[in-house]
Amino acid sequence: MSAIREVKYLRELQHKNVIELLDVFSSKKNLNLVLEFLDSDLEMIIKDRSLVFLPADIKSWMAMTFRGLEFCHRNFILHRDLKPNNLLVAADGHLKIADFGLARDFADPGYKMTCQVITRWYRPPELLFGSRYYGSSVDIWSVGTIFAELMLRIPYLPGESDMDQLKTIFRALGTPTEEEWPGHTKLPDYIPVGQFPKTPLRDLFTAASADTLNLLAKCLIYEPRKRITAKEALFHPYFTALPYPTHPSKLPKCTTHLSARALEEVDGNVEMNSTGPGVKANNSRLKRKLSSPDDGTSKTRSIARRLDFTKQGPPQSP
Amino acid sequence: MIAKPSPSTTTTANRLPAADPTPKRPLYEASTQFRNWRFSPEQLSNLRLTLNEAAVAVIRNTLENEKPGSSLDVSFLSAEEEHLLVKLYVTKIAQLCSLFRFPEEVEATAVTYLKRFYLKNTVMDWHPKNVMLTALFLATKTTNNPISLETYTTHIPKTAPSDVLDLEFLVAQSLGFEFAVWHSHRALWGMTLDMQTLPECPADTRPIYELALNHVRSSRLTDAELIYTPSQIALAALSLATPELASQWSASKTPSGPSPSGQSVEMLPGVTEAIKTLITTAGHPPQVEAVREVDRRLKLCKNPEKIVGSHAYLAKKAEEERVAEAKRNKKASEAQQAMADGDPFGTELPKVPMGLVDYEDEDED
Repeated sequence: MSAIREVKYLRELQHKNVIELLDVFSSKKNLNLVLEFLDSDLEMIIKDRSLVFLPADIKSWMAMTFRGLEFCHRNFILHRDLKPNNLLVAADGHLKIADFGLARDFADPGYKMTCQVITRWYRPPELLFGSRYYGSSVDIWSVGTIFAELMLRIPYLPGESDMDQLKTIFRALGTPTEEEWPGHTKLPDYIPVGQFPKTPLRDLFTAASADTLNLLAKCLIYEPRKRITAKEALFHPYFTALPYPTHPSKLPKCTTHLSARALEEVDGNVEMNSTGPGVKANNSRLKRKLSSPDDGTSKTRSIARRLDFTKQGPPQSP
Repeated sequence: MIAKPSPSTTTTANRLPAADPTPKRPLYEASTQFRNWRFSPEQLSNLRLTLNEAAVAVIRNTLENEKPGSSLDVSFLSAEEEHLLVKLYVTKIAQLCSLFRFPEEVEATAVTYLKRFYLKNTVMDWHPKNVMLTALFLATKTTNNPISLETYTTHIPKTAPSDVLDLEFLVAQSLGFEFAVWHSHRALWGMTLDMQTLPECPADTRPIYELALNHVRSSRLTDAELIYTPSQIALAALSLATPELASQWSASKTPSGPSPSGQSVEMLPGVTEAIKTLITTAGHPPQVEAVREVDRRLKLCKNPEKIVGSHAYLAKKAEEERVAEAKRNKKASEAQQAMADGDPFGTELPKVPMGLVDYEDEDED
């Protein structure tokens, strides 16, 4: 199911900030996706302590993320699993959105969707409260938390469980009031998790400019309908203020990826006569790590995927 | 830090969001449907004729190899007859969808898959019955309306899971793995909503929508979706349902004065009329008797290589097995050669069982 989604959407999407699906072929019962090869991902870059990020670097990554996301949303596609690990970085520094295994088309108004999407740390509060009707704003929240993570160099809202995730969010941003987010207490899984005071973002992000904090705050607005859209974000003064975004080729690059990949090739099943990296994923790797974002295997990204048509995916919401 | 307005800032502001340097074009034109699945009526009939002739030549050859002279009295299907049979199975999709209460999107997608499949294959190789079942099952998955294979096959008489699964790859591959389809019923829904801005529009648009939707459904029995855009078909269906309102709506959307797209606007009435004619002349189920006759003859001219258990089938399988075996041996000897030569990529190989290195063998059952 997830591979079918991935093929369906990637076949349609062509944008320089979205991973390119070069080819699909099947041999016997496997479906093999040939994806554009990308060196590293944003998670590896964030974790690489030897790298120093300038504000202009973060601006460049954010601009590329928003451009790719705006393109997805313009095509009526929700990504639903944005996280640093799924923002891949090419050798020339260009960032590309990858992993459309949880993506879906915008639903018609009144059509229920599942709220069990997006890796927990990047999941917006409305999904944690069980909202079954949502839109592109869920992806914007994820981008907001990624934005913060780029500045902090550690995950911004690392909840240990779904319940703890809500607490973590409210501890950081204050418990929402009815005025701020009308109707949130009526959401299916609403539970009060305690009152936390609002602390200004400036207290945590001490070095950030006013524009930076303004855009960050607009990505993390509780009321989903008030949250900034990808298109609006691209017009935000943050992107036109000094310093200008770093050119992709001059962005900090990860130094550790080569050894990680070599190991995987020994374990994997290597196609001898292929020109590209033909590593096949094990079935276990196909499972989304919704519950454990910090899973150790997330480092070794599988490049080719396979699809077993004979197995049904988990039931999706109608 | 506060941004200082400067000339360079403003230029960047104008340039930044429009990062795409190509001129703006409709989203539809970026779709695989627009790029790969649009044909002129002539292209369609040529394509079908070529496929048909190629299939007949192959089958004739196979029959002759088995028993010289045996192909002379076989009456092969013509391209039109093949098409007639496919059309019958398009109507079966609608029946199954109402049985399962699948949404409109599933039905429309399955119909598109079936039609596209037979632009790459012929019914003499693959009978539309199982292809239709597979196309429908695949459509439930690609449109996010999954159903378990067991539920699916137990509700359809005389159908085993293997009837669906065996062809799934073939169908997906024939579709070029291009699963996303733009449908005219969606365009119609949008038009119906938009129509409400017209002063002439009645308060209740539902009867209009229902009526027009029936015309959209009829259009699925035609080649319309392979020739025209979804919105053109939707407008034609709307025009069949309510000609006045349809022309008022399209007039309200037409830019006044000369525009670069002026030409396509002028062409629209002609296109709409052509689709209307297509729907009214071809948009009904085929005569069952005629199709039955085609199906009867198909039994005699099916490609024997695709009939499990037949002589030609076994011969073909044996040949495939021989080629695969040769390929495996070649790979193995190449790998050994590489190790013997001290190839830097060969040193790790002994840790991996040889069988696993062979890409093709991995899922052999």
